[in-house]
Amino acid sequence: MELFLSLVDDAFFSAIPAIGFALIFNVPKRMLVLCACGGAIAHSLRTLVMHSGVSIEWASLVASVTIGLIGVYWSRRYLVPRPVFTVASVIPMIPGTFAFKTIIGVFTLHDGGYSAEVMASVLENGLATLFILMALSFGLALPSILIYRFRPIV
Amino acid sequence: MSTPSPRIISNEQQTDIVRLVVQTGMRLQQHGAESKLVEQTSSRLGLALGLDSVEIALTANAIIVTGLYQGRCITTTRRVFDRGINMHVVCEVQRIVLLAEKQLLDCDLVKDRLERISAFKYNRWLVVFMVGLSCASFSHLFGGDWTVFAMTFIASAFAMIVRQELAHRHHNPIFNFGVTAFVATLISSLAVRFNLGNQPELVMAASVLLLVPGFPLINAVSDFVKGHVNTGMARWGMATLLCLGAASGIALAMALTGVRGWV
Repeated sequence: MELFLSLVDDAFFSAIPAIGFALIFNVPKRMLVLCACGGAIAHSLRTLVMHSGVSIEWASLVASVTIGLIGVYWSRRYLVPRPVFTVASVIPMIPGTFAFKTIIGVFTLHDGGYSAEVMASVLENGLATLFILMALSFGLALPSILIYRFRPIV
Repeated sequence: MSTPSPRIISNEQQTDIVRLVVQTGMRLQQHGAESKLVEQTSSRLGLALGLDSVEIALTANAIIVTGLYQGRCITTTRRVFDRGINMHVVCEVQRIVLLAEKQLLDCDLVKDRLERISAFKYNRWLVVFMVGLSCASFSHLFGGDWTVFAMTFIASAFAMIVRQELAHRHHNPIFNFGVTAFVATLISSLAVRFNLGNQPELVMAASVLLLVPGFPLINAVSDFVKGHVNTGMARWGMATLLCLGAASGIALAMALTGVRGWV
């Protein structure tokens, strides 16, 4: 029950950023609801998968593959290209904090001279950024790589 | 893909069709569609309007289209300027191409409809409010309490206003991201200074998340995966520079206030 409540909270507070960024990308009005649903499903699914002990990269892959497949259905139903809602849906999972920590770590490395701790944090954050990003966009691309190889989705 | 019934196309008509194809591709690329979508959608339009084949070369800031009809080639190039991500335009262009493919639109109608697409934008204050709320939600997801939520909302809403103002004046996006991150970090460092909320440093971490170039990064990797390595590298490079710009702004603000916060 406690897990369920925390997942609901998670879903609600990741639907908001999905809509917020969809507004920046000027997604048409009637697609905003889909972005919200996508964001909520993706992030709460990732939280659930991570809760069962899977690392964040693989959990991101699971979530983005799910959104990629749901995206195929939506895209064929509403006749719009998939990135219109899939990208906004995975935005809450983009490793922004990791990315900024990496670069600021590099600045610190230059400022204060080499130290093993800072270097370790730069590498860890940088690799996390890279792998999570790869997982997210590879997951979204999966349906068109595996299923729709020679024909367009819409 | 259905092959349209054969028809006779004059030299002038072929030129017109190739122009439409290049315009379609250009609008898609300007407004942030991934390379495969650009290539696929615009070549479908050419085939639907009766060309025998359409060849498209995409570079980071130009598009080259060759339309072939009965051994006659017409090639044209357009410079592509980034107009900012606009999924509304991408949807509209896609709809026109789908209608043309069903033979519901002819060349003139396609031209007319393409010219009528205007880049729809949301009300700027709505965007400011929702982006503020988005970053505040991130702070909640990271485990902040309601004070942190409110502070993050204020910092990122102000940052978004700055970002819109600079973008409106056509400043370089990297510079824009640096200034915006600087403002966001400056405001949110107040939370750390006055020790507001349960984890004040979360305000500093969450309020700059409006600057993560998510769309270019995802487009970059998906271009790579689908074989468009050169456009993918261009997008990746641009996204990295945007991150670097934002991080410089953050580092500058941290050095100025002396509040290290989250790094």
